[in-house]
Amino acid sequence: MRLPQKKLSIRIDGELISAVEGQTILQAAKANGKYIPTLCDLEGLTPVGACRLCIVEISGTDRLFPACTTPIQDGMSVTTASTRLAHHRRISVELLLVERNHTCAVCVSNGHCELQSLASAMGISTVRFAYNYPKLGVDLSHPRFVLDHNRCILCTRCVRACADLEGAHVWEITSRGIHSRIVSDLNQKWGESRSCTNCGKCVQACPTGALAAKGCAVEEMVKRADNISSLVHRREVQV
Amino acid sequence: MHTASLERPNAAERAFIDQVIISRTGHPGALLGILESVQERHPNKYLPLETLEYIAAQTNTPLSRIYSVVTFYALFNLQPQGDNTICICRGTACHTRGSRNLLQSVRLELGLGLEDASETSEADKTLLTTPDHKFTVRTVACFGQCAMAPVVEVNHRICGHVNERTLQREIRTVERESY
Repeated sequence: MRLPQKKLSIRIDGELISAVEGQTILQAAKANGKYIPTLCDLEGLTPVGACRLCIVEISGTDRLFPACTTPIQDGMSVTTASTRLAHHRRISVELLLVERNHTCAVCVSNGHCELQSLASAMGISTVRFAYNYPKLGVDLSHPRFVLDHNRCILCTRCVRACADLEGAHVWEITSRGIHSRIVSDLNQKWGESRSCTNCGKCVQACPTGALAAKGCAVEEMVKRADNISSLVHRREVQV
Repeated sequence: MHTASLERPNAAERAFIDQVIISRTGHPGALLGILESVQERHPNKYLPLETLEYIAAQTNTPLSRIYSVVTFYALFNLQPQGDNTICICRGTACHTRGSRNLLQSVRLELGLGLEDASETSEADKTLLTTPDHKFTVRTVACFGQCAMAPVVEVNHRICGHVNERTLQREIRTVERESY
């Protein structure tokens, strides 16, 4: 039996909104048609707060909070857009672009990339920091999919889609800081991974062109991240 | 990358691993303790991939999770370690007191060269083992002994105010002791 959920009222950008206890700020905002930019969040997957783009201001405190992992409280007043937030979000996106080799012109996801569309929505045409230009490999060992480390933003959507949804837990992040990489099993090639079920959920969850289907040319990889979310909802339905 | 060290855990090792797993399961963060105990028992103080596979199978942990933990923490080694460990501090205080020169002189002394070609020796982290497995040279961000900078740890013994001569002497001493 489900207990009746407690209703809370919060303010988002001054507008009074009623939300259910246990929701995060991002969920409450989404349910009421408020937009908060995010890259690592995908409905249905456990939030991790990796991309720091969903940061919001909460009145009464000077700190910025990630909307995806902060639960709502009664009477909370949230600001989702301000010059300060725009400044911090811009830095986050610029650093993501600088960290790996994001060359849109030759990317399979050009035009369908969440990082790209976010950057253009924020008006980021140039970055102020020096490019890192790491020498990274491309894993072509899988018969159907490709992993390109150059385009990875370490949002861990693939890690969570595989662990939470598929239950195979093929992906994980290895090392720390700037040396972090997505890795399958014991640093094996993807194609040699014994736990991979070839389901392709990680590919659909990936916001950039880091994971793509083989045989796609530039601009041809269209992802259906909403399939992941609807799959989660359909599993929750009890008949 | 994936190095095939064909070192399958033998029956005694498997029994030890099973025992460690039994004594630790149920506690939060059990995996760290298991890995630490297993590494400590290995004569070369490292975790061969086959051992990781065995631990994964016995504890029902995904392989990728184990690999992630082992590469996140600097204390775990995936490569065989030398009999003696020389750990040079590369923190700010030690750096200003010339720890880079110490590192370079140790590398030259042990014939490890100065080129950072391998992927294990990234700009901020060095981990090198001599081919005869007598010495491992590694760096650490800070020992918290900045007053004694530059600090070098030889076989888990902290030496402060080290210069190239005293370090050379330390290496000779441990070399003699290990025979």
